[in-house]
Amino acid sequence: MLAASVSSHRKKRPAWISDAPRFVLLFILAIIFLAPIYWMLSTSFKPESDAISIPIQWIPARPTLENYNEILNSPDGNLWRWTFNSLFTAFAFTLAHLTLCVLTAYPLARLKFAGRETWFWMILSSMMIPGIVTLIPSYIMMLQFNWIDSYHALIWPGVAGVFGVFMLRQFFTNIPFELEEAARMDGANSLQVIRYVILPLSVPALVSLGVFAFMGSWNNYVWPLYVATSPDMQTLPVGITSFSQRYVTEYGKLMAGTAIAAIPVLIAYLLAQRYLISGIALTGMKD
Amino acid sequence: MSAVTAPARRSRVRGSLLALNETNPLVPYLFLLPHAIFFLVFIVYPVAFGFYVSLHQWDLLSGVSPFVGLKFYTQIFDGSSPQSQFFWSTLLNTTFFTVVSVPLLVATALGLALLLYRPIFGQAIFRAIFFMPGILSVSVMGILWRWMFDNQSGLINVVREQFFGVAVIQFLTTEGWAWVPIIVGTVWWTIGFNMTLYLAALGGISQSYYEAAQLDGAGAWAQFRFITLPLLAPTTLFIVVTTVLASFQLFGQSAIITGGGPTRSTQSVIQYITEEAFGNNQQSSAAAMAFVFGALMLVFTAFQFRLMAIDLRASRKED
Repeated sequence: MLAASVSSHRKKRPAWISDAPRFVLLFILAIIFLAPIYWMLSTSFKPESDAISIPIQWIPARPTLENYNEILNSPDGNLWRWTFNSLFTAFAFTLAHLTLCVLTAYPLARLKFAGRETWFWMILSSMMIPGIVTLIPSYIMMLQFNWIDSYHALIWPGVAGVFGVFMLRQFFTNIPFELEEAARMDGANSLQVIRYVILPLSVPALVSLGVFAFMGSWNNYVWPLYVATSPDMQTLPVGITSFSQRYVTEYGKLMAGTAIAAIPVLIAYLLAQRYLISGIALTGMKD
Repeated sequence: MSAVTAPARRSRVRGSLLALNETNPLVPYLFLLPHAIFFLVFIVYPVAFGFYVSLHQWDLLSGVSPFVGLKFYTQIFDGSSPQSQFFWSTLLNTTFFTVVSVPLLVATALGLALLLYRPIFGQAIFRAIFFMPGILSVSVMGILWRWMFDNQSGLINVVREQFFGVAVIQFLTTEGWAWVPIIVGTVWWTIGFNMTLYLAALGGISQSYYEAAQLDGAGAWAQFRFITLPLLAPTTLFIVVTTVLASFQLFGQSAIITGGGPTRSTQSVIQYITEEAFGNNQQSSAAAMAFVFGALMLVFTAFQFRLMAIDLRASRKED
């Protein structure tokens, strides 16, 4: 009786009071999570002497764009070119990857043919192969193809990634067959079924997969580190680490370069985070 | 359903082997073909080719690559070779990293998700903030945390000195301490993924369980211990498996933050294999190491999936 009255009393308390400790805790954690990014930006706007000054300068006392100016015109690497390389590679990769995944996920999900299960399991089991196993032979192949330091090496080797096939197959399987049958009655062939039935109903999955693919390519580090080594063909992640060896102690410039690499992704993230997060939730689901 | 109305024309070429309708038995294979080509060339073939390379003394420069059999495999298990010594010690480093970071990445992700899954002011913003570091590339993350933990002027050291009056720690160049920036950076960087998976799973738990438990007088801890945790078990296993596998792939964080140092103490096995392949130009030896490492991962994954299957079967029986 007492317990019941206590709990009913509790329910009457306004939500914002009982939520307050939780909110404060979340707020502190959010500050801690954002601190490194704030510090990156803060450092990037300071003259080098202020970046390492003691006592600590939370807000740049003499804000300057000099670091950005210097890093964008650095004789040791072309940030603009690296950004272009990363953008071009990521767009081409995403387009090719989505196309291949849709084309192969459709029959695996919705057509009956001999060998379907075998092929699907073969694709699925390749997910178990760690990247390092294929890294060295793939590198030798790039040499044999004469693809080192070319966009081909950055784009093609990863386009058959199988996670996307798996994800889209799951999604396509759940689209009601009645819709496809209706289209077939109207004389649609399989390509038209994909174009007019499957794709319009799969927009969330396609956007999520597209965001994953784009980010995966944009942030890829190990592969471009070895196949795109000339200063003009490096991608942004590889390029800025080469800066980190050049400007070892010049943290203002280093942070300006890092910020230039980070800010476009951060903005894209703020716009697309809904799809990204729902996509991740999707991959964690069983069945 | 406007989507369905568009194609009205009947296909003209019924039965032809190039027709894209269901009467053509080749259609599924035509759809599979483009992906299959890339899959076979860039995933299946490299595995076979890598094995071939590991059995030869590959030489990129001369182009002469004699067959050497299992030489590079026995070398890995021959304790006197430097390759064996470095392979196993860097594998041990990677294992240490995994053992320390995985519990952190799972427990803190669960903690964040529990704080965040019930409605609260700014919920979506908090979720976006906790996830945000994960979208940065490993190089941005690495350079950033190297600066945060810089031996002299890093924020961590300056704050320690200025506000707590303790001496600076040379994080980046002291054996042992060098793991701290790598692990802290990794947790900051990847926790959002696991948190998101936990949030999705928590959202799927029916409130009626908790209501029933409250009627029985269960407190918050009991509810967590006997309802939330068991119902999250499949998600936890999925997260543990994927996080362990990802942790064993450690490369960029340690390569950028500490360069694998001091004296290889934070070098990961992947970094060592790439050093052997591209630094020492020993592609065959590196390919053999990659296979041994891959085989270990495979055994481990099979073991984890078995655990997962047993657990799922057990939870089905309970239903």
